[in-house]
Parts: sequence; structure tokens; C-alpha cells
Amino acid sequence: MQNVVTEVSQVFLDPTFLAIQFLNGLQLASLLFLLSVGLSVVYGLMNFINLAHGTLYMLGAYIGLSVARGSGSFWLALIVAPIFIAALAAVFHALLLRRMQAASPMKQILVTFGLIYVGLDVVRYIWGDYSHSIPAPDFFAGSVHLLGEVYPSYRLFMIGLGWFVFIALYYGLERTRLGAVVRAGVDNREVAMSLGLNIELAFFLVFCLGCGLAGLAGVVAAPVLSVYPGMDMSILVLTLIVVVIGGPGSLRGAALGAFLIGMFETFGQVFFPAIASVIVYALMAVILLARPGGLLPVRPS
Amino acid sequence: MVKQKSSRNRNVAAAVLLLLAIVSWSQADLFGHELLAQIAILAIFAMSLDLIAGYTGLVSLGHAAFYGVGAYATAGLASVAGWPMWAVVPSAMLLSALLAAAVGLFAVRLIGVFFIMITLAIGELVHAFAFRSRTFGGDDGLGGVPRSNLDAIGINLLDPAHFSLFTVIIAVLVYLVLARVVDSPFGQVLTGIHQNELRMRALGCPIRRYKLVAFVLSALFAGLAGSLTAQHNNFVSPELLTWTTSGEALIVVIIGGIGSLVGPAAGASVFVMLSHQLSSLTDYWMFFMGLFFVIVVLFAGDGLYGLFGRLFRMLSNVGR
Repeated sequence: MQNVVTEVSQVFLDPTFLAIQFLNGLQLASLLFLLSVGLSVVYGLMNFINLAHGTLYMLGAYIGLSVARGSGSFWLALIVAPIFIAALAAVFHALLLRRMQAASPMKQILVTFGLIYVGLDVVRYIWGDYSHSIPAPDFFAGSVHLLGEVYPSYRLFMIGLGWFVFIALYYGLERTRLGAVVRAGVDNREVAMSLGLNIELAFFLVFCLGCGLAGLAGVVAAPVLSVYPGMDMSILVLTLIVVVIGGPGSLRGAALGAFLIGMFETFGQVFFPAIASVIVYALMAVILLARPGGLLPVRPS
Repeated sequence: MVKQKSSRNRNVAAAVLLLLAIVSWSQADLFGHELLAQIAILAIFAMSLDLIAGYTGLVSLGHAAFYGVGAYATAGLASVAGWPMWAVVPSAMLLSALLAAAVGLFAVRLIGVFFIMITLAIGELVHAFAFRSRTFGGDDGLGGVPRSNLDAIGINLLDPAHFSLFTVIIAVLVYLVLARVVDSPFGQVLTGIHQNELRMRALGCPIRRYKLVAFVLSALFAGLAGSLTAQHNNFVSPELLTWTTSGEALIVVIIGGIGSLVGPAAGASVFVMLSHQLSSLTDYWMFFMGLFFVIVVLFAGDGLYGLFGRLFRMLSNVGR
């Protein structure tokens, strides 16, 4: 018994092993950040929660799949799919979401809940029930040697992309005019509007950008996770948890939430496989108990 | 006075619905009885959700957790532990209520979207637990759940016709209890909280305590619906616990008319019949269900119950 414990703790406390798991956690966090940031800022601006955000992620992955297969280029897919999803979001905004803004949270949630079902069958109809995958681009197809371990370089690319988007958005929010309008709108919508700022337009742009990032996340995830109908469901709840614990409306909150969930999910699977699936929910409960508005709320609650 | 009138209208609607249920029961074939039992059970589940979502304003996306706990407790206590059914069903309800009390203690502190999200997370937590648990069969679920034994009073619940009638009777009883609750002074306070929480707080009402009691009571009946589902299918699986089950229950409430108690029961019949018909027509029935959800939420207003109310007023004006 004693031996087993020592052996196990040796494996688990091996710094290389921990470092690799840390990278895996960062990679999941990166994906969750891409997914949650749009959802979060849109909520902060308009109190609008879009449950179909996961569906856009799935659609992004499938469109990326078709583009990558048709053109043979992963990079083209990585550019085309988010643009397509952002355009789709613009159509949805015009048809549906504009009239939903004044509705109760329940109605918003249930309309977008209906869209999940629609999206699922659209994907099944066009691409079938099978599971697909997009191969990683040649440049990142190999592995790198890291601390004496072999680590897929594509995963490092995912982590880097997450950081890149975070920095770009941070800069955009803090340094550009649109960013200032968005911050003003999140801070106090009525005052911002009465000052003549076009919050509606800012909302529209942020909504399309956020949805485009969900599409981007879909393509980015495709070489690592498989592309299948229902892939939206498995990530949607994690994304919502990230938004809620980070504090809706906050860019830094989304990043912090994504980091925490990425780490707890990854290390939970390694150290406590039996209860891993419930750890993140428990974490959310504890955080909301201590801070009902999330960790980094934009507005004091 | 206004309240009395609206509860009278509601009871008339319930009587009409019961009449329809009895007529369809007498006409139903074997499969019809299966559908009727499914409708009655969903009606109980939806009515329990309406108590919190419609009357108290607590929109839960985790109500399936209490439904699922009722079902799993029934399966566990009856087929694994071998308890007699007369002890199993109340215990299953109590377990659901206990979970709701534990969850509710802190969930009722949250409002709006945070409440929706915490209930969603709790629901997923219970789902993940059932999905992983070896004791409860993991994602395969548990089979061999027996039905209650009412042979002593001449009812054989293994007969689909008897079972469907049994579920309809239980649904009527649940309606009567919940109608009593929402018409009582306690129910008036819940409505008050829904309409203006700040004012109720200013009046010195312990809002969280009221919300908690409503939450627990709602879970009690959701647990009953779950227990009946387990007995109906002789089987439980984690699918009962997914958050989409909770979302669909909310849709059922909206179809019928939120905050009308009888409406959600009518919504249950629309939901079951429509999903049954669509799934026999096309493999892509979820697409049409989803479109239907969107249309219902956008345009339903006060649902079937609202339609019924307008019809009722029209008829009583003609009679005058």
C-alpha cells in the first residue's frame, strides 16, 4: 500500500508531468476564452444570453471542415469560417435578436434554446451523423520537445491564439473608440445612450465579433476534438460557467473564468477522475456563493 | 374578488381538460394509453415547474435534477434496495425535496440570469454524477423498476389502460394541491414576489424563505413525476437529467400559458403529441420542434390558457 502511494505521488508530483498538464489546461482555457468572451461582453451590454452560442461554435467547425476539405488549406478555413459565422450572426440579429432585446431572460434563453435544436438538425442534414476531423496544418502537425517530453505543437498554437485574441481584444477595448463606447455601454447603458453614443450599433458589432470568435473556436478545436453533431452541447455548459464565474460583461473576467475552468477540469481529470465531472459545477457554486456577481463583475451588484 | 374569478376560470379550464383526458382515455388503444400516461406525467412535471417559474418568478433550467432524482431514487430503492413501493414513492419525493432544500438555500439568493445559470449547473452536476455512477448503471441507466401495486383496490398497474388512468388521477390530485397552494395567502405572497420583489421586501416579507419553500414544494412534485416516469418506463437513464429536459419543460409551460397551472398541463399534451407526430414523419423532427419552440416563445403570449380565456369570455358574452 505504502509503495503504491509513493509511486502514485511520484508520478503525479513529477514536475514535467505537472507542466504538461498545465499546458493542457491552458489549451482548454484558450478554447473556453474564445467561446465565452463574446457571450460575456454581449451579456454585459444588453443583458442578452445566447444559448445558441455553442451551435455557432459547431457550425464554425463544420464550415471549417468543408473549406479545409475543399481547398486543402486549414488556414483558409480558419479565416473563412469565422467570417461566415459572423455574417450568419448578423442575419440572426436582424431577424430575431433585435426584437428579443426587451424580452425577459427566460424568453431570450428559450428562443435560443429552440435554435440549438434547429442547428443540430441542420448540421445532421448537411454533414450527416458521423464524426469528422480536420487535420492540423502542416506547419503545426509535428511535436516539439518540451522539458524532455514530446508535446504536439498544434496545442501550443491554440494556447498562443488564445493569448493573441485576449491581447487584441484588450487593446481594442481600452484603446479604440468602439472599445470606449462598449465600455461606456456596459458601465451604464442609459447614460451612454443619452450622451448620444450608438449602443445599438456597438451591440451589433460586438455580437457579430463574439459569434465570429465562437466560429473561430470551432475551427481551432476541430484538429484536437472531433467534429460531430452535439459537440456544441458538451462545451456550452462549460462556456456558460466561465461567463458566470468570471462576471458577465467583463473581458478579464472571461479570461480568468476560462483559466480557472480549464485548470480545474484538466487537473480534476488527472487527480480525481471519479469526481472530475462534478468539480467545475461545485467550483461555480462556491464562487457564486462567495461572490454572487462573479469574480470580476463590471458593475457592483 | 378578481383572484376568485380567475381561479374559477382556471378550475373550469381544468375540468374541460380532465374531460378531454377521460374521453381520450376511453377511446385510446394500447399505444394511446402509453401516450396518455406520458402526457399526464409531463403535466405533473410542468405544473410543478409553473409553481416556481410562473408564480414565483424563479426560472429554473435545472428542474430535471429533481425529476431525475425522483426517478433514480425510485429505481434505486425499489430494484436495488428492494423496498416496497408504498415506501419508495414518498421517499423518492422527499429525496427530491431534500436536494432542493440544499440547493435552494443558496440558489434563492441569486436573481435573474444567475439563478438560471446556477440551476443549470446543479442540474448538470446531478447528471454528471448519474452518468459516472456505477451504482446507478452509468450511462446505461438502471432497468427493472417495478410499478406500484394497487391490486388490493382492483387496479392492475401493469395494464396500460389502468396505468394511464392512474397517472391522470395523480395529475388531477397534484393540480388540486397546487391550485390550493397558489390560491392560499402563501401563494398570494409568491405572486407578489414575482410582481414586485422590492415592494414585498419593503413590506417586511422574508422573500428568500418564501422562495425556498416554493422551490422545495416544486421539487417534491417534480420528484413524483420522476418516480412515475421510472415506473412507466421500468427504466431510468441519465437522459432524464439532461438540461434539455428542463428546457423542454419550460417550453411546455410557455405553450400552455405561464402562471396558469392548468395551462402547462394542456401544454404537456401538445408537446407529447407534436413530438410523437413529428418524429414519425421525419428523421429531422428536432429541426421542426426547434422552430416550433422559437415561434411559441415569440408569439404565444399567454399560451393556450390565454386562448381559452378569450374563448370563454366570448362565449359568456354571447350567452348574456
